[in-house]
Amino acid sequence: MQGERKKGWWILGVLVGLGFVVLPLFIEGYWIRVLTSIFMYAIITAALNIIAGYAGYAAFGNIVFFGVGAYTTAMLMLRVGFYWWTGALIGGLLAAIYAILLGIPILRLRGHYFAIATLGINRATEQIALDWGSFTGGGKGITLPLPKMEIQNFYAMIYFIMLGLLLVTILVNYVISRSRLGYALRAIRDNEDAAEASGIFAPRCKIVAWAISAFITGVTGGVFAYWFSFIEPATVFDIMIAVKAFVMMMLGGAGTVLGPVIGAFLIEVISETVWGQFLTLHMLILGIIMVGVVILIPRGMLSLFGRKFSLAALWRNIKNQAV
Amino acid sequence: MALLEGKGVSKSFGALNAVDQIDFQIGQNEILGLIGPNGAGKTTLVNLITGVYPLTTGKIVFNGQRIDGLKPARISRLGMTRTFQIVKPFPGMSVRENVVIGSLFGKNGAARTTRSAFQEADRWIEYVNLQDYRKASVDQINISFRKRMDLAKALAMEPDLLMLDEVMAGLNSKDIEEMMALVTRVNQELKTTLLVIEHVMKAVMSISHRVMVLHHGRKIADASPQEIVKDDRVIEAYLGERYAKARRAS
Amino acid sequence: MIANGIFLGAIYANIAVGFSLAWGVMDVINVAHGTLIVIGAYVTFILFKTVGLDPFVTIPFSMALLFLIGYVAQKYLLNFVVKVGIFLSLVLTFGLDLVLINGVLLTFTGDYRSVTPGYSGTFFQLGTLTIPYVRLATLIICIFLAALLQLFMVKTRTGQAIRATSQNRQAAEMIGVNVAKIYSITLGISAALAGACGSLISIVQSFTPFEGGFFIMKAFIICVLGGLGNILGAVIGGLVLGLVETLGARVFGTGFQEAISAIIMILVLIFMPKGIVGSKYK
Repeated sequence: MQGERKKGWWILGVLVGLGFVVLPLFIEGYWIRVLTSIFMYAIITAALNIIAGYAGYAAFGNIVFFGVGAYTTAMLMLRVGFYWWTGALIGGLLAAIYAILLGIPILRLRGHYFAIATLGINRATEQIALDWGSFTGGGKGITLPLPKMEIQNFYAMIYFIMLGLLLVTILVNYVISRSRLGYALRAIRDNEDAAEASGIFAPRCKIVAWAISAFITGVTGGVFAYWFSFIEPATVFDIMIAVKAFVMMMLGGAGTVLGPVIGAFLIEVISETVWGQFLTLHMLILGIIMVGVVILIPRGMLSLFGRKFSLAALWRNIKNQAV
Repeated sequence: MALLEGKGVSKSFGALNAVDQIDFQIGQNEILGLIGPNGAGKTTLVNLITGVYPLTTGKIVFNGQRIDGLKPARISRLGMTRTFQIVKPFPGMSVRENVVIGSLFGKNGAARTTRSAFQEADRWIEYVNLQDYRKASVDQINISFRKRMDLAKALAMEPDLLMLDEVMAGLNSKDIEEMMALVTRVNQELKTTLLVIEHVMKAVMSISHRVMVLHHGRKIADASPQEIVKDDRVIEAYLGERYAKARRAS
Repeated sequence: MIANGIFLGAIYANIAVGFSLAWGVMDVINVAHGTLIVIGAYVTFILFKTVGLDPFVTIPFSMALLFLIGYVAQKYLLNFVVKVGIFLSLVLTFGLDLVLINGVLLTFTGDYRSVTPGYSGTFFQLGTLTIPYVRLATLIICIFLAALLQLFMVKTRTGQAIRATSQNRQAAEMIGVNVAKIYSITLGISAALAGACGSLISIVQSFTPFEGGFFIMKAFIICVLGGLGNILGAVIGGLVLGLVETLGARVFGTGFQEAISAIIMILVLIFMPKGIVGSKYK
């Protein structure tokens, strides 16, 4: 019976995936862009999941890799004439190298300190982008060469690129979750000392996880740069994106394969509907959602489906965690 | 040649000499009991051997290789494993997953696939008689089962030397009997060498081949269990000087 | 110029003391602390504008209001997640921050505000130094508040209860401390300090609802420099940062200032995780 159930979920997944593939034929440009944006958030969140969900290291400033990828792609396309995908891949690679170099000292920090250090890194990198005007264009940003194709086709292409990236990221998450690295990371998250006593080389595993996370985030930044044809420090190093990704990850379920993606979709859909109705309250409501998620479902939505769901149990949980 | 040997091992924390010039050795297949009053330095010594703390002076050799200065993970992979006084499980994972960490990252883990590692883990779970709780989550099982799970994880690492830090603490007398039997089995069937820190005297005295006694960071005795219980210095350390004097007088 | 560094440092120190109180005692990184400061500034602004109260006189009012906000936030929101994990309280305060910023934005709009009492520009000469009265008053009040807090922590029963809880929550519970209430009071005090800080800042610079992020970054850095949860560390850290920034601005230009601060923080985190001064509330 177990095998049958699992197969059922797989088929559902494939259907959903196919659904998204053919969707552009039926919907307008506006929704295509909205969906593309949702895909992008889902990728960022799923990439964050690798370091924050599996390894338990709250990389609040993970968005820095997005920015690195974006700027690398922009500059390579503009100055050297690379293709967007070469630029994006190199952007991802540079982001990964950045993660490795920074990870060596920073991943030794625990808990809050690591989180803050990543925030500091993001801030500092953003500042460098701002201040090194001669190289990065400073506050004025960089305008990329425009794509040489009709605009609707361009947006459709980006849609598929992001969708593809999302599927790849989900696959990466899946593979990691069942691999040695995945178990090592979870052991590190649950009890790093015990993990090391069990023969796990924690520093190595953490750095690899962060590098993978950085690579994916960097490539996504590159695609974003190509998509918008214009980037500036404030947008690509925006801490709000990082925090949103965190909330999405937590809402969906940190440390699961699909949780982050589901969380991203949920929050973005809610965001879109709220934005439509309450423009000014948009951020306020996001804030309230954050607070709600943290108190009511800290383990994420996926955990709600695990055991039998009951309001009473939920309330008991909340009281239990109270001081 | 001894499996594990330490010479002049010392560790000071500032002005405190937690471990003071200890020489020790454990032979192949031996069960060495390590006892001493609270604060004697037993756990510190184990921490030094497993690389958790760096030594202040001295050297430690395992299987002919110097291991002082190596990281804990490296030492574990060389074939030395320990359990913790206060069990340190992985709370987010099931019993099975906890044990598989041992089979994945222990001595022969590197060559294993995840699937075969899980098969190994199942084997060890059966060995400690915990198969009914395989899929249970760690916070659902009581302390006696958690200790057995910890032991299974340690065994899954296939150590040549296994160090048990107060593995009987918190168990009732029936569980202690079971644990004693299990530990003896591990030594006799698997030919594992053991270092057992214990406060439960009847347990450690009955299963150990040899017993080492620590007091205030120093080794004060190292002999067979029968000789240890009669040793004046040991009695003095545990029961105090006045009792020891009174006993000698009588 | 060194004087300017010290004045800046005093305000930084104040920010850090409040921020580090929450962090040191409850392990709560209150990202909303910056916006609490801003709210204090708006309180002064409103009272100054509508009732004509002297800004320095508004300080008790802003402190009282902020104390209430902090107390309520801790009691009904934060107390539920403090035990669970590090991300959680961080994300919660971030969400709170969003709510507060937007609440203020809706009430006051995003326009730049400032408070300019009649004596704003006045100063006196001390040798070659020009010392504005307002800045001097700020310095004095900041020091006064820090000293007051220190006294409170050491001499009063509540203060001692806070210190006990910060060291070992379970032990404190066992001797009868109402931890939930102590935590609420702690955040209340932290917020009150933010309020005072905001009031002082409103006189010195113009502000919008979004200034919070800037203050928080400084608070982090100082806490890391000065060691967590101890008042002296926060004060020294604040002064040091104020001086370093002022001097740095002279040498490197204001642009790289932020980058330098961030880099300093990261370096300290790596090499001196306990900070320059020390560790937890003793």
